Amino acid sequence: MLELREVTKKNGGKKALDSVSLSLPRGELVGLFGENGAGKTTLMKCVLGLVRHEGEILLDGKPVTYRNRESLSFGTSEHSFFPGLTAQGHREFFAAHFPRFSDRRFLGLMDFFALPLHKTLRTFSAGQKNQFEVILALSQGADYILLDEPFAGNDLFNREDFYKVLSSILEPQETVLLSTHLIEEVSGFLGRAVLLRGGRIVGDLSVQELEEEGTSLVGAVKERYHYRADRVGKAIGALTGEEDEP
Amino acid sequence: MKDWCERNLTPPGVSFGKECAGVCAGAVLAALYSLRFFLSYFSARAALYETDSLTREAVLREDAVLPAFSELLGTSLRGFSVLAFLLLFVAAYHYAYHFRGSRSILLMRRLPQRFELHRRCLAVPALGLLLCLAAALLLLGLYFLVYRFATPAGCLPDFS
Repeated sequence: MLELREVTKKNGGKKALDSVSLSLPRGELVGLFGENGAGKTTLMKCVLGLVRHEGEILLDGKPVTYRNRESLSFGTSEHSFFPGLTAQGHREFFAAHFPRFSDRRFLGLMDFFALPLHKTLRTFSAGQKNQFEVILALSQGADYILLDEPFAGNDLFNREDFYKVLSSILEPQETVLLSTHLIEEVSGFLGRAVLLRGGRIVGDLSVQELEEEGTSLVGAVKERYHYRADRVGKAIGALTGEEDEP
Repeated sequence: MKDWCERNLTPPGVSFGKECAGVCAGAVLAALYSLRFFLSYFSARAALYETDSLTREAVLREDAVLPAFSELLGTSLRGFSVLAFLLLFVAAYHYAYHFRGSRSILLMRRLPQRFELHRRCLAVPALGLLLCLAAALLLLGLYFLVYRFATPAGCLPDFS
């Protein structure tokens, strides 16, 4: 279980995260949604111990330190691989540093994405870099896999295929926290959706319960964010000087 | 051993061999620069002699004394200080490397091995500093031996 208790992160005087409490049991595929600046990346960096914060973050009941942080992996759109190293070099590096690194999963996903093993990462296309970043996060052998906007720049077919692979390869003890804007795309694969707004959790929704209520995840998210459906019409009206059609 | 160093002592993707070759080249240049000690020494040693007007032979001047060792050494070993200073930039480059082209610092900072980042960033500069120190001490000793034993008897300054 990954547990956040009253986690607050201040950037200057502004709260990037404000008393966030959240529990992620093992074996869940959780979506983390919110507008730009909502605090999604900050939340993940707090969990990983990459930024200082107030409050408590417990990994299976213990604070996150270098002793247990191998149970956390991170794939980010900022990319955390080494541009001057080949994919094979990364494979060796991860095998040497993460005792539970899954060579089988690494090679399987490399094959799935048809990525070259012996080229340096700087020669990869933007989409390939994203794919490789995700491959590393999934192959590390972590129990909690944090993915921050991992598919930015990938084409739709690649993304859809990947969601299918992701949901089928996960072991029962593996939890994925997936931050993305592509709510509609991932809604079919998620079990739960956590909504962040202005550094606070404004919703923690079970996708199954939503389905039982006959509500779509996108609809529920819009409702929580008080989405104003008429704002497009108003904006167009204001920009073109024409009256909005009722 | 070489493979181990290549895989463990520099940031991933940075060649240990190439960096070591660079440091060694710097040390060789610093050692070559230090040879200017011999210019000072032999010039001072030559000044101990004067030419006999009758025989035209070089004879030791009366009360001739060689300048102090430190004076003759001057800045001969300065090259090693410069190299040591440049090694600080190598360390800075290694840290900056983790922010270039990606944010591999995010991976390095979450490794289970607590000091991996610092080991990889500081190993080559630290080894380079040790090399500088060892080479400078070795040359210092060598030059002192030359000063001590290649100087005509009685021409060394009073050490007391």
